Amino acid sequence: MLLAFLGIPLGNIGVLSFFTSSSARLWSPVLTTANYREIADAYFLDLIGRTLTIGALATVICAALGYPLAYYLARCSRAALAVALFLLIMPLMVSAVVEAFGWIAILGREGILNTALASLGVPFRIDVLYSQWAVLVALVQLLLPVMTLPLMSAIEDIPVRLEEVAWNLGASPLIVFRRILLPLSLPGLVSGGLLCFTVAISVVVTPALLGGRLGRMLGNEIYDQALSAYDWPFASSLAMVLVLIVFAAIAVIVGTSRRRQSRRGRA
Amino acid sequence: METEPEPRANGTPPGGGPADTETGLAVRGLVRRYARDVTVGPISFTVAEGEFFSLLGPSGCGKTTTLRCIAGFEPVDEGIIELAGRRIEKVPPHKREIGLVFQTPMLFPHLTVSDNVAFGLSVHGVPRREAARRAAVMLALVGLSELGQRRPDQLSGGQQQRAALARSLVLEPPLLLLDEPFSSLDLKLRVQMREELRKLQRRLQKTTIFVTHDQTEALALSHRIAVLSGGRIEQIGTPREIYEQPASRFVADFIGNANLLEAEVLGWRDGIADITTESGLRLQACAAAAPTARRVTALVRPELVRIGNAAASVANTFTAEVTEVVYLGDEAQYRLRLGVRAELLLVRKLTGGSDTLAHASVVNVGIDPGDVVILSR
Ligand SMILES: Nc1ncnc2c1ncn2[C@@H]1O[C@H](COP(=O)(O)OP(=O)(O)OP(=O)(O)O)[C@@H](O)[C@H]1O
Ligand SMILES: [Mg+2]
Repeated sequence: MLLAFLGIPLGNIGVLSFFTSSSARLWSPVLTTANYREIADAYFLDLIGRTLTIGALATVICAALGYPLAYYLARCSRAALAVALFLLIMPLMVSAVVEAFGWIAILGREGILNTALASLGVPFRIDVLYSQWAVLVALVQLLLPVMTLPLMSAIEDIPVRLEEVAWNLGASPLIVFRRILLPLSLPGLVSGGLLCFTVAISVVVTPALLGGRLGRMLGNEIYDQALSAYDWPFASSLAMVLVLIVFAAIAVIVGTSRRRQSRRGRA
Repeated sequence: METEPEPRANGTPPGGGPADTETGLAVRGLVRRYARDVTVGPISFTVAEGEFFSLLGPSGCGKTTTLRCIAGFEPVDEGIIELAGRRIEKVPPHKREIGLVFQTPMLFPHLTVSDNVAFGLSVHGVPRREAARRAAVMLALVGLSELGQRRPDQLSGGQQQRAALARSLVLEPPLLLLDEPFSSLDLKLRVQMREELRKLQRRLQKTTIFVTHDQTEALALSHRIAVLSGGRIEQIGTPREIYEQPASRFVADFIGNANLLEAEVLGWRDGIADITTESGLRLQACAAAAPTARRVTALVRPELVRIGNAAASVANTFTAEVTEVVYLGDEAQYRLRLGVRAELLLVRKLTGGSDTLAHASVVNVGIDPGDVVILSR
């Protein structure tokens, strides 16, 4: 069932990506690899590289911010959890478009951030709107809950007593994190990280509104090729590249974490 | 009184007795406030080097809290904790070097048993091979030498708890804290683990605080016992003192079976107090000094109540009717009625085949004045 829902459109795009583009009928069923050869061009490779970099950075920053947050949520009282969860999940219910406009208001040349800096007498301005940095900031905000929630449930399954034991045996809080908390919450980190990375490299709205030319990502290109240039076969081949990257990321990350686990099991 | 040799094999506390705090542990006026109405303390006690010290008390009396304060997992609201003459109540837990074993084993599930035991060593910078070697020695000591390569979930509950003990002991902590380490095990295994712990203790002479609500465990293992109730210490003493000269009604009731008779003091002369119980018994009781209060509680241990011929030779004699017989295999408990209202519990070891008393039979009962302990209320 799930496979059908996923497989049919994906197969469709896969086939389409080998067709020839045609200005009259969107595509003509003449098989070619031209679409893929076209991607192997400095512009598109650069685009893919930037997309992956932004995705990876967003994932890493989300993990760094998400761990302390997830730890707090996993260990705090019920009442505090209810409030904190609400605050964390609420942004997920707001459209990314609205959030992007929010970031424009904050990061813009005359935005809240720069106005505040100026009123504090800071002699420079932070000019990140319409660049990859604005996209990164907005993505981190967008994806933080996506990273935090699986991490939180992984940490909840680790008894506090286990940390206390390690602490009692002479491990400083940092070592407790590295040697107990991190390995035991790795499944949460893997699933949170994969979700985060997958969403981050396929976003459209955020880079379209905040990225400008510098922050353009693969998703924008696919969108434009499909809906502005009407080159569906080429858009399909770009989409296939995206899908392959996601699959590769899943394979690598799940593969290594499995191997770590089985090595532990044997050791 | 029982004259058989004392079952404890641990003798007197080593290291110069309870006053020696240069090397041992001293807790002075420890208070932990959870909420306005939930307070543990003030608690004060000292543990000499090499001593096996038990905290005994009912659920919720503050045993775990006391241990967690010593280990550093609970903030100390008031008071002082000194280990080997050094104040430690502000030292973070990982720098206290105090071993703590919880009620449940809490082994690290992602590490092998051997790596669990080596964890503390490796955190302290001991090289891998050396840590593994020392872990193996310690595992052998607790009887797990074959199982070092297993994962914790492949061990039985008792084995896991032994591994947890090894994990703490391998660091050679100057003080070992055990929080009901056997209470998650079934009775048979508990008794076995208790014996093993006693052997280990005799071998390692480790300064230990052992928390339990099982009086048998405390009596069997300890040099000294502190009985806690409602966040305070009721009495500190050797197992014998705790059992034979309880300081309060609570201690007498908590440790072992007890006949507790509310009584009034009529007079005192030459070390003998004359008392009459509310249930109408006249008793003579040995008391070194005249009781300070008129209203007291008299304690008579059920196993010290005499019957038959043995009853004739003592100062307090009564006739009684057996109203209840409870057969427990190695012993029998009887409820006796003396006169109209007075009741006594009697416990007899069953040695021969036919020495149980029949229900509703009438027996002579004697209580030696030396077996009556007068407790102030
Ligand atoms: N984290 C906490 N917050 C509030 N109150 C607590 C907390 N921990 C313990 N208490 C209270 O402090 C008192 C002592 O608890 P403690 O756990 O020390 O008892 P205990 O003697 O170990 O009991 P048990 O034999 O059941 O383990 C209890 O009344 C308990 O309810
Ligand atoms: Mg407890």
